Amino acid sequence: MHNLLWLQGASCGGDTISFLNSEQPSALSSFEVLNINLLWHPFLSREQGDDVLNIFEEILSGKTKLDILILEGAIPNGPNNSGKFFMFHGRPFRDWLGDFCKHAEMIMSVGTCAAFGGVVTGHENINEMSGLQFLHDQKGGLLGSEFVSKNGLPVVNVPGCPSHPDWIVETMTALLKGWLHMDDLDEFHRPKVFFSKLAHHGCPRNEYYEFKASAVGYSQQGCLFEFLGCKGTLCESDCNERLWLGRTGSCTRGGFPCIACTSPLFPDKQRPYFSTRKIGDVPVTLPLDVPKAWFVGISGMSKLACPERLKKNAVSFKWIS
Amino acid sequence: MSKLISIDPFNRIEGDLRIELEIDANTVISAKSSGIMFRGFERIMPGRSPMDALVITPRICGICSGSHGVAAAKCLAHAQGAEMPENGFHMKNLILGIEVVMSHLSHYYLLFAPDLASPRYKKLSVYESVNQRFTAMSGSSVVLALKARQSALEIMGLVGGKWPNSLAIHPTGTTSTMNLSSLTRTIGILKEFRDFLEKRFLGCPLSEWLDIDSFDKLLKWRSKPQHSESDLGLFLTMCLEAGFDRIGKGPNRYMSYGAYDLPDGSTWLPSGYFDGRTRTFDQSLIKEHIGASFFRDAVEARHPMDGVTSPLADKTGAYSWAKAPRYDGRTVEVGPLARMIIADDPLLTDMIRQMDSSVMTRMFARLREMCRLTKEMSNWLEKINPNEPFYAVPSSRFTTNGIGLTEAARGSLGHWMKISSNLIDNYQVVTPSAWNMSPRDESGQPGPVEQALTGVSVADTNDPVEVNHIIRSFDPCMSCTVH
Repeated sequence: MHNLLWLQGASCGGDTISFLNSEQPSALSSFEVLNINLLWHPFLSREQGDDVLNIFEEILSGKTKLDILILEGAIPNGPNNSGKFFMFHGRPFRDWLGDFCKHAEMIMSVGTCAAFGGVVTGHENINEMSGLQFLHDQKGGLLGSEFVSKNGLPVVNVPGCPSHPDWIVETMTALLKGWLHMDDLDEFHRPKVFFSKLAHHGCPRNEYYEFKASAVGYSQQGCLFEFLGCKGTLCESDCNERLWLGRTGSCTRGGFPCIACTSPLFPDKQRPYFSTRKIGDVPVTLPLDVPKAWFVGISGMSKLACPERLKKNAVSFKWIS
Repeated sequence: MSKLISIDPFNRIEGDLRIELEIDANTVISAKSSGIMFRGFERIMPGRSPMDALVITPRICGICSGSHGVAAAKCLAHAQGAEMPENGFHMKNLILGIEVVMSHLSHYYLLFAPDLASPRYKKLSVYESVNQRFTAMSGSSVVLALKARQSALEIMGLVGGKWPNSLAIHPTGTTSTMNLSSLTRTIGILKEFRDFLEKRFLGCPLSEWLDIDSFDKLLKWRSKPQHSESDLGLFLTMCLEAGFDRIGKGPNRYMSYGAYDLPDGSTWLPSGYFDGRTRTFDQSLIKEHIGASFFRDAVEARHPMDGVTSPLADKTGAYSWAKAPRYDGRTVEVGPLARMIIADDPLLTDMIRQMDSSVMTRMFARLREMCRLTKEMSNWLEKINPNEPFYAVPSSRFTTNGIGLTEAARGSLGHWMKISSNLIDNYQVVTPSAWNMSPRDESGQPGPVEQALTGVSVADTNDPVEVNHIIRSFDPCMSCTVH
């Protein structure tokens, strides 16, 4: 049996809600098939009040082994680095968390907030929040850049706002089976298996992208990259291959731009969300490994080669054959 | 001699809550509800483009992100003077509707019902079934409900792209569209969810249950075994045997902003303020008070348009990170019970007359709304015409401040946005649970849950199950509350 403790910091609970959307295995079955004993989860568990404190004490005294610690939500450090923005049973939450991290065999940050600080760090982090081992793209966070848990790995970051339920369940699987090594993580400690693709891959608007047949307004079928702010070409995630909610949707399938919510720099560095920032005629959201001069040349040619069918459909809300 | 007990953390809700009770001779003589965290969303809004509200504010809450999306979009629409095509109305209502139905379903099965399996109720006639079906995380109905939820949420993928945090809802319609395939599939998924409700939850056709228009007829409905043995039938028996009709009396003042905008300018659920009779609701009468809240301000109360969010963790006498909203100076209850009363739902109107506000009426209102919405969503789906537009081109100019009012699962949700030079100058959010879970105001008036807990008799102070029921009957969302 693997003991799991799931905690929520400055959180909206959205990653738990997303986890509950898991299909095969379902969220509850995932505990069973992975041989997980859920010590406590704030949204799901029966225990409350002093019973929770007893569970905590048993972990901290070493009586109960903590195999896997999951954090959802950012870490409140304010005001003035006092931790008083979140007092859990009369003690700053981050102090509890720091203690649990010392006991944990392995640690997962679920969601962009726990990983990098996320949405609550907007406005130059006026609210003094951080992730477990990062603040935005800088190593550090609560635990410091050198931290490793007992299994020798740093905190494994599974960002997304929210994180995809598959990413959560599959990371738990890989960790518990001992399949996840340092080589499997990228520079932001995200499992490469999910975060080395782009949200752009598998987007149904890709033919429009190829021919630069762009939507000029929302609710149109064309590519959202040129005018409408889509960051799918930069966003490291497999959203459009994996799909969400029973494989029914994704951001671009819902007609709205990817805002790169898995990025350490979400939310402020991904602005503007609904229009495309350009230098000259070139979107700043150009994929990093595409040379700008080539892009300008190719996109000029593609536009010239664009079939009528695509030109018409790009600016229509419904299919014109 | 009275004694103080605290339940900290009070979980199986959204977010973080601390409850403190002063108990004398097994009776609660006063209660304090504390939001124990500050997240600071209102402080990250100024200086942003107004459209950023669509991205940032849904992230206040993982369980009602779509409702915040609707409130933000209405706020922007108000500031822009936007027009929306008919399809846009129905799509928005579907997104809000499925979110609310799923929230009510998860609340009942994951959060509220596990308390029914408490050993306290061993002597009740239905205990064995209740324990088998509703035990936290493993009860047979809990597992089935979670599966039904996951399947039904495929509707959200089809109409909203993803969830939580869809960006499909815009001030002038939805970015998402529907075609023959997605429409047909959505109709099928909704039918499957309706089957779950009819077979497992109700034990009868949805329409038969919605036709029940009085408490007497509800009791008669229970007399058939297929009804009494359904999840709802068991709960009805449990409510009566355990006395849930006699605990949890709220302030008996109710408010709804009205929700589910329709193309003709009306709303499917009406707005109103009820204090014995229904009156016109007026948003200018709302003020947020900070007497017992960890905030600093030169004045004790402000209308949200002029609201100030300046945290002060060491404030003497304060005990919550929630502000205390009041309507015309008074506490009000918001949520499904308020909505059903203001909408003149015949069953709930009769129940409230017979047994006052209570854990039972509050829960039945929520479950009633879940069923009514499931039926209404089919009607909205029928009205979607895939050949007509879903979205209109918006004006990029913001000519006035924005007010966006809607109803989230847990009650009245409002966003107020002050705009200056096309940028957000101030953004204030007043959430449903801020109303219900609010701390005292400067005059010492307790919030609705604090009031509902006062006077309740607690059989075992080490395991105050009654308190659990009362608090969870309000379905608190502290993530929203402390935003």
